[in-house]
Amino acid sequence: MTMDKVDVIIAGGGLAGLSCAYELADSGMTVIVLERGDFSGSKNVTGGRIYLSPLRNYLPDLWKGAPLERHVTKEFITLLGKTNSTTFELYSDRFNREPYPSYTILRAKFDRWLADLVSEKGVFVIPQKNVNDLIKEREKVIGVKTEDEEIGADCVVAADGILSFIAEKAGLRQPFQPQHFALGFKEVIALDSKIIEDRFRLGEKEGAAQLFVGTLTKGIMGGGFLYTNQESLSLGIVVGIHSLNQKEPREEVHKLLDEFKERPEIKNLIKGGEVVEYSAHLISEGGIHIKPKVYGDGILITGDAAGLGLNMLVTVRGMEYAMASGVLAGRTIKIAKEKNDFSASSLAYYEKLLNESFIMKEMDHFKNSLSILENERLFSKYPQAISDLFEKVMRVDENPKEGLYKTIWQTFKKDYLNFQTFKDWLLFRKI
Amino acid sequence: MPNEIWVLAEQREGKIRKVTFELLSAGAEFSEKTGFQVGAIVLGSGLQEAVKSLSPFTDKIYLMDAPALASYTSDTYLINMAPFIKEHRPSVLLGGATSTGKDLFPRLAMHLQTGYAPDCTGLNIEENGKLIAKRPLYGGKVFAEMIFSEARPQMATVRNNTFLVNHHLSKSAQVIAISSHTDPSSLKKKIVGLEKAAGTKLDITEAEVVVAAGRGIKAPENFKIMEELADVLNASVGTTRAIVDEGWRDQKDQIGKSGKNISAKLYMAFGISGAIHHVLGIGTCKTVVAVDTDPNALIFNYADYGIVGDLFQIIPALTEELKKALKE
Amino acid sequence: MEIYVLVKQVPDPEAIVKVKSDSELEIENKYFTNFFDEIAIEAGLKLKEKFGGKVTVLTVDNKKADALRRGIAMGADDAIQITDPALEGSDQFAIAKALAAYLKDKPFDLILAGRQAMDDDAGIVGPAVAELLGIPHVNTIIGLEVDDPKKEVKVLREVEGGKEILSCSFPALFTCQKGLNNPRIPQVMNVMKAMKTQIKKVDLAALGLNAADAGSQAAKIKVQKYLPSPKRPPVKMIKEDFPENVKSLVKLLKEEAKVI
Repeated sequence: MTMDKVDVIIAGGGLAGLSCAYELADSGMTVIVLERGDFSGSKNVTGGRIYLSPLRNYLPDLWKGAPLERHVTKEFITLLGKTNSTTFELYSDRFNREPYPSYTILRAKFDRWLADLVSEKGVFVIPQKNVNDLIKEREKVIGVKTEDEEIGADCVVAADGILSFIAEKAGLRQPFQPQHFALGFKEVIALDSKIIEDRFRLGEKEGAAQLFVGTLTKGIMGGGFLYTNQESLSLGIVVGIHSLNQKEPREEVHKLLDEFKERPEIKNLIKGGEVVEYSAHLISEGGIHIKPKVYGDGILITGDAAGLGLNMLVTVRGMEYAMASGVLAGRTIKIAKEKNDFSASSLAYYEKLLNESFIMKEMDHFKNSLSILENERLFSKYPQAISDLFEKVMRVDENPKEGLYKTIWQTFKKDYLNFQTFKDWLLFRKI
Repeated sequence: MPNEIWVLAEQREGKIRKVTFELLSAGAEFSEKTGFQVGAIVLGSGLQEAVKSLSPFTDKIYLMDAPALASYTSDTYLINMAPFIKEHRPSVLLGGATSTGKDLFPRLAMHLQTGYAPDCTGLNIEENGKLIAKRPLYGGKVFAEMIFSEARPQMATVRNNTFLVNHHLSKSAQVIAISSHTDPSSLKKKIVGLEKAAGTKLDITEAEVVVAAGRGIKAPENFKIMEELADVLNASVGTTRAIVDEGWRDQKDQIGKSGKNISAKLYMAFGISGAIHHVLGIGTCKTVVAVDTDPNALIFNYADYGIVGDLFQIIPALTEELKKALKE
Repeated sequence: MEIYVLVKQVPDPEAIVKVKSDSELEIENKYFTNFFDEIAIEAGLKLKEKFGGKVTVLTVDNKKADALRRGIAMGADDAIQITDPALEGSDQFAIAKALAAYLKDKPFDLILAGRQAMDDDAGIVGPAVAELLGIPHVNTIIGLEVDDPKKEVKVLREVEGGKEILSCSFPALFTCQKGLNNPRIPQVMNVMKAMKTQIKKVDLAALGLNAADAGSQAAKIKVQKYLPSPKRPPVKMIKEDFPENVKSLVKLLKEEAKVI
């Protein structure tokens, strides 16, 4: 059967797919990106914030004119007790010096811009197209099937996201386990940029990133986040799926966010804002434990589809891995084209590149992060205890105030001096 | 004669439609401001009753009564109206934003080389006769006030229920018969049949009260409770795109961007989440009531009154309560 | 059959539209081919599949030709973009004039258009083009039956209270309504072909029109002021349990809103 053929089919028009397309754009090959949404970005979500420092080597020229939100100059971590909280605020001149290390980002805007950029460079980005199946000749992938068409290609790049259908069809993926995934859900709250700058004490175009851990997730593994965009705030919660399933009684995910918003710490930050968007997305957190084989005959797997997502406790990584892996896949394909060899042994070069990159190195360093996160006390006891301690130290009431050392030691004895805390301490060393 | 406000009177089987009386009432108001007289143009066949009903509402009736004019087509109406309008060039010509109005007015305006504001949700007139027409754009996300060049007449079609019928008008119209000149053989299109909709309810664009159900209704046969509620309120039953696409209700009942815009006095939404393409269709309804099981449903952002509840429990109780309340 | 389809690129229904000032709108950069125009394209393609012939998509746009590319990707044979700086600020009648000027010397059987564009929601251009070309038109058709292109066509259209069946001779213009068909989603290879197609451009001079026929000076109707859509006061949630909530609602509708 003769079918139409192109050089490369990229399934998925998110960050991984578009970065791969960007890398291939000047290669002279016919490259098509098949995106199932109405436009790139329509189905993508992040908290979120993108770290540009690791990406500048991979995509040096991309960032001029990119529609990013604010460069982050302040990092906040808030530990939430039931009725109290402690916040650490970090500002550094380093964050405020070009080239800026990270930016807050809105995916619908960014992905769409990137898709347009890639189209201008001659790649065909085709929306409303879902890849339903792979076409194989024996074990070699030679094309894809959409709802009503068959298209052939020398190489197929699976960039179809966290539940990658293609990785599964290619037989490269392991079965899913709930502990490797989290659910993120957020609201985008429109707020005047001057008000944002006042509330977070930022200069023009500067941004803040805030993480919350503690009672907001009611003992479920996870946390909250707040990012300042140019004219809005991204506010949301991430919860581990397995942990969520275990909780009795069942917690409704959007209720958690509603209650979070009612806390005075949050309420006053979002006052006067208007919710303009509500979205949710699965997050790959399994890191090295779920990474499938990322190449085969005629196929490469990038981004979330390759399980390239990682929970680093202080942040969740995915976007940078997606973009870098997309670029590496693109480089691999260029070399394969020169040899006209798209076999698995040729495409194995992609895995080599991944292993040498920051992606796999970080995935290795943080391979124990999930097991630590399974410790429920991280999300209930310790944040509460720390806030309680701080409150005791700061409180002056009608009783004569005790000496500070005595206050701290008494609390320490009561809350921390036990075998459980000691064990936890040993575990935390693994982060 | 140029300083007159004309309304195209729509009739169906000899009976004048409510929107005509609404527009004539508006015309009477404009009359006070400008000193212009109000005229109704009516075309059809066998119009004695129609003329009688119009008489209190207008100063003049321009009447074209001929068998060839029995049914509306844009051809017949245009051929007959155009020369007459050109001759008299009234200041304003209004019509309902009905299937007839929206079909005839753009073509007529092109023919007369004059301005036309479609589907208006508000009208105002200055003392010197300049019309200001308010109409929705982008499905109702924003509105625009339109003004006209010097070409006359200034034409506009207006949504049902935008103006109230002034039942206190007691004019006595001067009837001016105009001869029609339609050669049936010259017409390139003709109506060969009419499928009447089942039931006697008004189209949702015309009804004063509309009740609608969305996905929450769960099955097509459950629309029965909607019909019962509608009967008590003398309302028409509408629905959402999802239901129409399933094939459970006819396209004519769809409220929303690719369906119809309604401007009811009272609109009640049951089991409708409130997606943007639906709510844009209800923006000009005066009072909106929403019932849904989800307290976070977007529909509540567009309602005046809301109940979080199960429509299968609420609707029968509501029907009973309304029966009682309306008896008093 | 020789068929022309009038198409327009309009903001996506999800695009945010805000009033920036009395005379300016801020429209989010999300565009798509007008929903009703796709229905018109599909109707044209179906007739071509049955009777053979040619489908040409036609637009008036100074910036984008994406609606035309959509038409080609769906299967149209040719695409024409009428574009001229003097068209900026034109009202719908001037647009109709430009389209009619292009079509008047073409041997067409049928012109199809969407029932209205989802930006101005006007529904003027279709009937106005028919008037200028002196051909019959029928609005908002939901049924189209051509048995023999040489003779008459039957169309079905919605009216209040029912549906009308009209017979009409060719050439004619119909505006298409939801329910007429389900527009096909173009195949990938056709989308690629469409992306590469060179679009023929035509300006006012080529149409025998001059700048005075178009633009804001020729406009018969203008926007005096933009207004945001009126915001309702916050909803009154009736918090009582059933059945008190129903009783309260009826009371409010009767005494407060006074709608029953």
